[in-house]
Amino acid sequence: MKNFLQDVYSIFWREMKHFIDQKMRIIVSIVQPFIWLSLMGNLMSGFTNNPFGLMALGGVKYLDFMTPGIIIMTTLFGGIFGGVSIVMDRRFGYLNKMLASPISRSAIPLGKMLSSALTAGIQALMIIIVAKLMGVNFATGILGIILILILAMCFSLAMAGISLALAARLKNMETLFAIVNFLTMPLMFTSNAMFPTQTMPDWLATIARWNPLSYVVTPLRTLVTSGWNWMEITQGLVYIFLLVLFTLYIATTQFKKSIA
Amino acid sequence: MKIIEVNRLSKTYPGGVEAVKGITFEVEEGEIFGLLGPNGAGKSTTMMMLTTLIKPTSGSAKVCGYDIVSQPNPVRFSIGYVSQDLAVDDTLTGRENLFLQGRFYHLSKEIIEKRIKELLELVHLTERADEKVENYSGGMRKRLDIAMGLIHRPRVLFLDEPTLGLDVQTRQDIWEYITRIRKESNMTIFLTTHYMEEADNICDRIAIIDHGEIKAIDTPRKLKENLGGDLITLSLRQDGIERTTLFLENVKLLEYVNDIKKNDGRYTIIAKRGEKLIPLIFNIAQENGIEISSITLKQPTLDDVYIAYTGKELRDEDGSPEDVRRMNRILRRSR
Repeated sequence: MKNFLQDVYSIFWREMKHFIDQKMRIIVSIVQPFIWLSLMGNLMSGFTNNPFGLMALGGVKYLDFMTPGIIIMTTLFGGIFGGVSIVMDRRFGYLNKMLASPISRSAIPLGKMLSSALTAGIQALMIIIVAKLMGVNFATGILGIILILILAMCFSLAMAGISLALAARLKNMETLFAIVNFLTMPLMFTSNAMFPTQTMPDWLATIARWNPLSYVVTPLRTLVTSGWNWMEITQGLVYIFLLVLFTLYIATTQFKKSIA
Repeated sequence: MKIIEVNRLSKTYPGGVEAVKGITFEVEEGEIFGLLGPNGAGKSTTMMMLTTLIKPTSGSAKVCGYDIVSQPNPVRFSIGYVSQDLAVDDTLTGRENLFLQGRFYHLSKEIIEKRIKELLELVHLTERADEKVENYSGGMRKRLDIAMGLIHRPRVLFLDEPTLGLDVQTRQDIWEYITRIRKESNMTIFLTTHYMEEADNICDRIAIIDHGEIKAIDTPRKLKENLGGDLITLSLRQDGIERTTLFLENVKLLEYVNDIKKNDGRYTIIAKRGEKLIPLIFNIAQENGIEISSITLKQPTLDDVYIAYTGKELRDEDGSPEDVRRMNRILRRSR
C-alpha cells in the first residue's frame, strides 16, 4: 500500500512538474476566464437585464449565473485532454520505461488523474478570484467556495479518467483529439452551463436536463447563486462521487488491459 | 550461473505476424550478450518479452530465476531497460529524471541521492545535472538514459540499440561506459545493435536472429571461424569455361581450402591460412593458363558472418514506414 501511494505520487509529481513548466498555460488559465466572464457577461447582460431575463436566471445577474458554467467548462477541457500525456509518453518511449519498472500499473492513470484534479482546482480558484473581482456574489461564502473547488476537482478527475481510458485504447493523438472535440463542444452547449434551460426550446431543455454536465453545473450554481440548498447539493455530490468511482474503474482497467 | 534462460519462446502479434518463432538460448551471469539481426527479425520483440513489456504467446523465459509471465515484478526489480527511444523527460532536469527513476524502484531518498552522485560522475554529467534535459545534446541524453537504467543496480541491463543515431565519438564513449560498468559490477548486459564492429569488440557472445529464429549463437571469434577460414576473393580474366573449371577444381584440391563460391563474376575461396595459399593459387593459375586480374585476402568480419546467416547486409535495409518515422523521431531528439 505504501509503495502504491508512492507510485501514484511519483506519477503525480511528474505531471505537476509538466504543468508548472508550461508558463503559457498558467497565464492562459488566468486570462481566459477573465475574457470569458467580461465578454460573455457583458454581452448577455443586455439580454438578461429585464424582468423576463431575470426570471429565467432565477433572479441573479448573468455573471453570477455564468461563473459556475465557466468553472465547469475550464475543468472539462483541462480534464478531457488528460489522455494526451499517455499518448505522448507512449510516443517518446517513456511509457515503456515506466512499465519496465516495478511501478504499480494502476498508479499511472491514477497519478495522472490526480494531477488533472489539482490543476483544475488551481484553475477554478483563479476563476473564482477573477469572478469575485468582477463583483460576483458567492451566496454560500468561503465554505461554499471550498465545496465548489472540491466538486470541480472531482469533475476534472473523472473527465481525465474518461480521456485516459480512451487514450489507452486509441494509441493515436489525432483520433483522440477528434473524439474529444466531438464530445466536448456539443456536451457543453446542450447543457445548462451557459444558458438557463427556461429559455431553451422544449427538446433542448430535455437534452439539457439529461446532459451529464448539467448534473455538475446545477449544484455548483446552487452554491453560487442561491445558498445551502441541500437537496440539490447532495444530489450533485452523489452524482460526482459515482462518476469518479466509475471513471477510476474504467481508466485503470482499460489501462491494464490495453497497455500493461 | 544462467541468468537468462529462454525456452522455446514465441510471440505472434494479433493479425498473425509471427515475430519470434520458438527461440531457445541462455545467457551466463556477467556476460555481454549481443542480439544481432535485420529490422523486423524479432530483436525488439525478444527484448520486450524479457523485460516484461509484452507477454509471450508460448514458451517461457526466466530472468534471474524469475518467470517473466508469472513473476513480472521480481523480474522488473532485477533488470534495467534502456530502450532505443531516448526515453528521458525533457521538462525535468537530469537530476530529477534520475530521482524519479529511483522512486519508481522504491529506493529511499538517501540511497537515490548517493547513487545519483556516482552515476552522474560515471556518465560525466555532474556539471549539467541541474539543467533541463531539453538543453541536452543527443549523446548527453543517451548517457542520462543509461544512467537511469542503472539507478537500482540491476543484475541485468537491457540495452536496445544503445548507439543508434549517435556520432562516432559518442558511440565510443557509450561503449566505454558499458565496459566499465561491467568490469566494476559484474552486471550482465543484453544488447542489440546494428554496428557489427562494435558488437565484435564488446560482446562475449552473439546470437544472430532472422525471421524470428536464432540462426547462430557463439563467441564472435568462433562465429568467424565457423565460416571456414579466411576469404580470398579472385577476379579472373575470362579464358574459356573449361580452363576456368579445371583451375577451380585444382584449387579446391589444395589443402586448407573449404569452399569456393561464385558471386558477381568473382570467386571467393574460403580457406584456412589464406596467406600461404595465395602463391599456390598463382602457380595453379599459371599451369592452367589462367590470368588472375586481382586477388584480395581478408579475415572474415562479423559482417561476413551476418551476411552468411541472414543473406543480407545490415547497411542496405529497407525500413517499414513506422521504422522510418521512429528513426526520424530519434534523430530529431538526438540533434
